[in-house]
Amino acid sequence: MLLANLVEGMTIGSLYALMALGLSLVYGILRVLDIANAGAYTLGAYVGVLTWRLTSSWWLALLAGAAVASGLGWLLQRHLYVPILASGPIVPLIASIGVFTALEEAYRLLFGPYILKLPARIPLPTVRIAGTVVSGVQLLVLMVAVAAFAGIALLLDRTRTGLAWRATAQDRETAEAMGIDVGAVTGRIFLLGYALAAAAGVLVAIHYNAVSPTMGDMPAYKMLAIIVLGGLGSPFGTVAASLLIGLVETFVAAYVGFLLPRDAIAFAALILILLLRPQGLFARGVAAR
Amino acid sequence: MPEAPLLEVRELHAGYGKAEVLEGVSLTVQPGEFVALVGNNGAGKSTLLKAVMGLVRGRGQILYRARELLGTPAHLRAALGIGYVPEGRRVFPGLTVEENLKVGAYRLQQEARLRQQLERIYAIFPRLAERRRQVASSLSGGEQQMLAIGRALMLDPSLLIVDEISMGLAPAVVDEILRVLEEKHRSGLAILLADQNARKMLAVADRGYVLETGRITLAGRAGDLRRDPSVVEAYLRAL
Repeated sequence: MLLANLVEGMTIGSLYALMALGLSLVYGILRVLDIANAGAYTLGAYVGVLTWRLTSSWWLALLAGAAVASGLGWLLQRHLYVPILASGPIVPLIASIGVFTALEEAYRLLFGPYILKLPARIPLPTVRIAGTVVSGVQLLVLMVAVAAFAGIALLLDRTRTGLAWRATAQDRETAEAMGIDVGAVTGRIFLLGYALAAAAGVLVAIHYNAVSPTMGDMPAYKMLAIIVLGGLGSPFGTVAASLLIGLVETFVAAYVGFLLPRDAIAFAALILILLLRPQGLFARGVAAR
Repeated sequence: MPEAPLLEVRELHAGYGKAEVLEGVSLTVQPGEFVALVGNNGAGKSTLLKAVMGLVRGRGQILYRARELLGTPAHLRAALGIGYVPEGRRVFPGLTVEENLKVGAYRLQQEARLRQQLERIYAIFPRLAERRRQVASSLSGGEQQMLAIGRALMLDPSLLIVDEISMGLAPAVVDEILRVLEEKHRSGLAILLADQNARKMLAVADRGYVLETGRITLAGRAGDLRRDPSVVEAYLRAL
């Protein structure tokens, strides 16, 4: 029971981390709280469903979802956020809420207000560890998440591209004067940030076997709280905060779940932690500026 | 027959939104020349330097090696051999000293050249070498200024544009940094330096321009400007 909750909590936390990491990268580069990122999560899930229906392939569903959502992210930064960036942080925030709402309505019109299914079979064995069953889907989520985090950590810390990204996030104008094409950097970060959200969307769709137009509602707010908890713009903090919230909500739901629904527990925990540590778990990240 | 100027700004108008800060500024920097830009806060010094770097839009002409810069995006201007030290130093606070320098050489692809350039900068500023693994936000103001200059020198520019070096720094530190600039100048680097401290600048520069509310009101040899009564009255007396 304990171990089962641990595995499920890590799985949920990893899904949060995939989404929140995208949101955090995007926030880091433009200082925009991009609610529409949760729209990419839903978009990924729908593209995943369509791709799976055509091909019966879970990994094609994952790739297609990520690719289409990347395109959306690139278009949004290029034609919406960057042009209105000079008007301060509130305007892009409101615009992103508008985009998110419009996307949800578009999904409703296109696919109907029903729950679609994505019963993809994951060709991973069900593993038993000390009597606890780890399902193939859980294993897949954990593997995708670990691969994504490791890849991003290496990219940011060890490569010239990562250095340019970090410099641009810290001081856009100076980075440009140093010869970095900050427009291209921004575009690439949105490609990645939206791909991560979409990957989370496809994995959630497989995990719960359900896709609906409003599936992004709860993550939209939860991810905002998580990236604040993780210290806004700090990738490491974001992942840590995601795992923490995933574990807390799973454990509390398992042991005292009859009192409150799961999401309410997550938000209660977030409020409590933020009251105790308003600067986030790790007071670095953007605060260094 | 005078040499062709390295940088030639002609009738430059620039500003932010509708507010025009520069109202037709012209100046030149010859190859290897040290030019001081004198002017009070708000005169438009930073705007002029940013326009040359492409960080604010401008109308008019900015010729670098006889090539028009106004249509060139900012990130490509660095590759043409223009180094930039922004106002307020603007080191990348969360990057280490060495990473800051590497950003200055972002256009440089070969690892061997990069190492060589890093060692050159560390030779100029040994204090940066000692702190190469520290994050820039932990440096003192003077060290950050050295880092900002080192970063701008990483690509071996022909022209170094410096926006304020003395702000908030102890006089001894300013002198130390000016000595480095003079040394680079002697080895052939052209410098365009704007600073509040007209006295120190005009002591080291070859020529100077006085910028007042968006216009050049006076230009000449640094030695002549230092003795000009209006310059003395406006910029040298209080210091």
